[in-house]
Amino acid sequence: MKYDAIVVGAGHNGLTSAAFLARAGLKVLVVEKNDYVGGAAVSRELTPGWTYSNCSYVCSLLRPEIIRALELPRYGLQVIPYESGATFSSGGDYFNYSADHDQLRRELMRLDPAEADNYDRFARAVMKQCRFIKPLLLRTAPDPASLRPRDLAELLYIGKRFHGLGERDMAETVRFWTMSIAEYLDQYLTNDLVKAHIAGAGIIGTGLGPYSPGTAYVLLHHYMGEVDGAIGAWGFARGGMGAITRAMADSFRASGGEIRAGSGLDRFLVTNGRVTGVALENGDEFHADTVISGMDVRRTFTEHADEADLPADFVRGVKRYRFRGSSGKLNIALDGMPDFTAAPKGARFLRGDLHFLDGMEEIERAYDDWKEGRWSASPYVDFLIPTQIDPTMAPPGKHYATIFVQYAPYELADGPWDDARREAFARTVIDKVTRHAPNFADLIVHKEVRSPADIEREVGLSEGNIFQGELTFDQLLFNRPVPGYAQYRSPIKGLYMCGSSTHPGGGVMGAPGANAAREVLRDLGRKIDLGAAA
Amino acid sequence: MTWDAIVIGAGHNGLIAAARLGQAGKRVLVLEAREAPGGLMAARGGMTVAMLPTALNADVARALDLHRHGLSYGAPVATLALGAGGAVRISGREASGAGKAVAVAYGALHDRLTRQAAALGRMLMKTPPRLRDGGAGDLIALARMGLGIRLLGKDEMRDLLRILLSNIWDVLNDEIGDGPLAAALAMEATLGGAMGPRSPGTVLPLLYRMAGRGRLRALGGPDAVIAALVRAVGAGGGAIRTGAEVARILVGEDDRAGGVRLTTGEEIRAPLILSNAHPRRTLNDLLGVAHLDAEDARRARLMASTGMVARLDFALSGAPVADGGMAIPSGERLIVAGNMAALETAFNAAKYKEIPDRPVLECTYEAGRGLLSVNAQFVPCEVKGGWTDKARATLEGNVRAVLAGAMPGFQAMIAGVETLTPADIEARFGLPGGHWHHGEFRVDQMLMMRPFGGAAQYRMPVAGLYLCGAGAHPGGDITGVPGWNAAGQALKDGRAAK
Repeated sequence: MKYDAIVVGAGHNGLTSAAFLARAGLKVLVVEKNDYVGGAAVSRELTPGWTYSNCSYVCSLLRPEIIRALELPRYGLQVIPYESGATFSSGGDYFNYSADHDQLRRELMRLDPAEADNYDRFARAVMKQCRFIKPLLLRTAPDPASLRPRDLAELLYIGKRFHGLGERDMAETVRFWTMSIAEYLDQYLTNDLVKAHIAGAGIIGTGLGPYSPGTAYVLLHHYMGEVDGAIGAWGFARGGMGAITRAMADSFRASGGEIRAGSGLDRFLVTNGRVTGVALENGDEFHADTVISGMDVRRTFTEHADEADLPADFVRGVKRYRFRGSSGKLNIALDGMPDFTAAPKGARFLRGDLHFLDGMEEIERAYDDWKEGRWSASPYVDFLIPTQIDPTMAPPGKHYATIFVQYAPYELADGPWDDARREAFARTVIDKVTRHAPNFADLIVHKEVRSPADIEREVGLSEGNIFQGELTFDQLLFNRPVPGYAQYRSPIKGLYMCGSSTHPGGGVMGAPGANAAREVLRDLGRKIDLGAAA
Repeated sequence: MTWDAIVIGAGHNGLIAAARLGQAGKRVLVLEAREAPGGLMAARGGMTVAMLPTALNADVARALDLHRHGLSYGAPVATLALGAGGAVRISGREASGAGKAVAVAYGALHDRLTRQAAALGRMLMKTPPRLRDGGAGDLIALARMGLGIRLLGKDEMRDLLRILLSNIWDVLNDEIGDGPLAAALAMEATLGGAMGPRSPGTVLPLLYRMAGRGRLRALGGPDAVIAALVRAVGAGGGAIRTGAEVARILVGEDDRAGGVRLTTGEEIRAPLILSNAHPRRTLNDLLGVAHLDAEDARRARLMASTGMVARLDFALSGAPVADGGMAIPSGERLIVAGNMAALETAFNAAKYKEIPDRPVLECTYEAGRGLLSVNAQFVPCEVKGGWTDKARATLEGNVRAVLAGAMPGFQAMIAGVETLTPADIEARFGLPGGHWHHGEFRVDQMLMMRPFGGAAQYRMPVAGLYLCGAGAHPGGDITGVPGWNAAGQALKDGRAAK
């Protein structure tokens, strides 16, 4: 059986790539190791009656150009914006974030009369950075070492945009890209609770603390998203994150695409430095001149390719590429809505992201624990009960809680991630939540505990890194994943990369998938038709 | 007496700026608040903050003819990195005692970093270009640096662009693995700053330190350097007044800097003022925010400048011996850390304003004076609870314990100890944060952003006022380049105005 293109991995980027190629008229096959599609963007019933978004859990970064071009709403995608969030301090106070600007200002002024104006200045500064970077997401990063006209033109494009910022904002942009989130926030804000609430976005998913240079940029990775045109908004996919990949898969099939789930890749078939297809673990072989890997760069090349087919510098680059898983996850079925001591019953802000935190130092100390090979004694958690917005995910009156936990090391200093350690890890997290919602622990009906090692095993993300590799500058733009190979092509002719290991990186964004599809079509000499994404 | 220029602060950069202006025929007065010239190199009861002046820029030294003024130079100083299994001796690209494979890998890494540093180093002796709206000269300077990077070839260029903003922890773990050698290099990458080896951006300071084309090791130590610089100032007709503390930079009705007022109330006039003080002190204290726009005042206030080095001098009654029996050689540089992880652990405590249990140390032993001088990092300038006698005793005890671990019998040899905490350095030298380099050495505070964007061409926001200290490009260490460049820029601007 011969296809025009085969995509390995039915995660959101693989499906995005596949759908764009199918729309361009290619005959495309997607192969997937799990017997369900979605990769890390899935909705799964792991206990009867409850649907878990058991990996990724919020929708924001998914590029609107991709939603439009693939007609995802037509295939069932509905994104409901979150309107609020809160950070609770151990002293019983809280900061209630609100998407409603007037309400947010009132809350900021309650904490500190000057903080509302401070926050507006901060928000304007971050928005400037978002506007600067957004157009770069759906473009291929130029190779600064290349003299090809296309790379030079792209460098010039970025240079012009940068130059257009004006001298002060150019300096501000360099600072933003290189400074720590703590220092960045200190420039604008004074209240510890407000700063702590925002700082989480600078460290989620990364092996860095809020005092580490480079974390201000990571903030952008969580702020540049948008829901229905509202930049920075976070949304919730109705039916869980699987709704996104389900819609992508349906869009793909509607264009004639084919998905085979249930058997993983054994190896890429390569002849004379050119890819000819894939061999699956179940023995099936499929042939195509174009193969696109949605897996991360380490799995793609160290597990499924032959080192002899790859240049030495590339192999070194792949082995050097850093994953450093740093996050764990708890998915919990609840018998009812927990009561938060500090919040009025039924408070609307409980519908958003909740954190339990006194300040920046607590997050930094949590990072120090991770550096030493321990999960954080007082972890940073991103806690959500999405069933308040989407009751379809749990039986009537019951709830589902997703708890993202930063930091949890991939390798523990004192031994493997066995059941006892997984349980102790869960206990640390649940105890922390229970200090703020005393009936939380008693409401637990079922829980799924996922260490970085579990995430790697199940989803295939190396070391459990949710971004398919660290978002540090040495692994961004033209450095992602390997300098000289940052334009979705690999050293093996016809073999491409479309996962989050490529520019612009992780998050359920779809941009790497769309960009890779564009490069494939360019090489095939096909008309590029990615809608606004082109 | 009328002066063509006033230099505030007789640190080495101030003296070098004054000497260069003198060479150009300017009559220069250098004002120094303290009792002797030399800034951080000045001895006070035998103790100087900058104890190892090994980075003096060869071009500057030649141009000022410091040799004629009595300065002579020795072979580059070797570094001994003490570890559990003995010492590694590092000299240039050689690392003996590190194991063969590591030594070979280190040699290759050293060569590569040296080439990459040289490509970046083309900007060292130049006024950095404006970020935008600069003249053609600025564009040419930028293009030259870009060309230098390109000339490295594709592979090394790509490698440079990858590691440039990376952390030293990853680079060294990739290339040579952790151990005493890596600790010594990571020390080089972090010394004087407020970043641990895992912090992104720590490769850059190492490249900076490797970029100094021809770094000279002055024989005779800090005293000899100061003496030669003082003579160079005098040779150009300049004068140095000590005990003269500047309270204010005076700005005339024409919005130009036109003189200074001392704390005694005395006013001295000159059409050109160069400040060797920290940028924040220069702008917010001496000039005053009334002469700055809000954005410049904010930038000066926010400049990262948290010093994390304490200085200790141990008077010894005997000759120290390293664990394993090697006598500690006199005059060489000693790193007592063990590995990079120890640096990071020491940094952890400092982040929370705590004194680390095991500070990591850069030392030098002078047999003639029976003195072991120590730079201890990471010791925060601001300590929780303040620098009480107890905190000071904790610091001294912790440093002693680290030294005793590397040199058995050390405790019994101590005849006396003198300590300067970063807070002491801040108070004594008017140096915000006690920061050696007048501001953190990070990419957002380098080149055309040092001390901050729009003020990085040595010209301060008020005409006639220049910054000539380590807070200006290219930055810290005893190189003399900021002072040299600042004087050059002032002279060039003066010629252009005519």
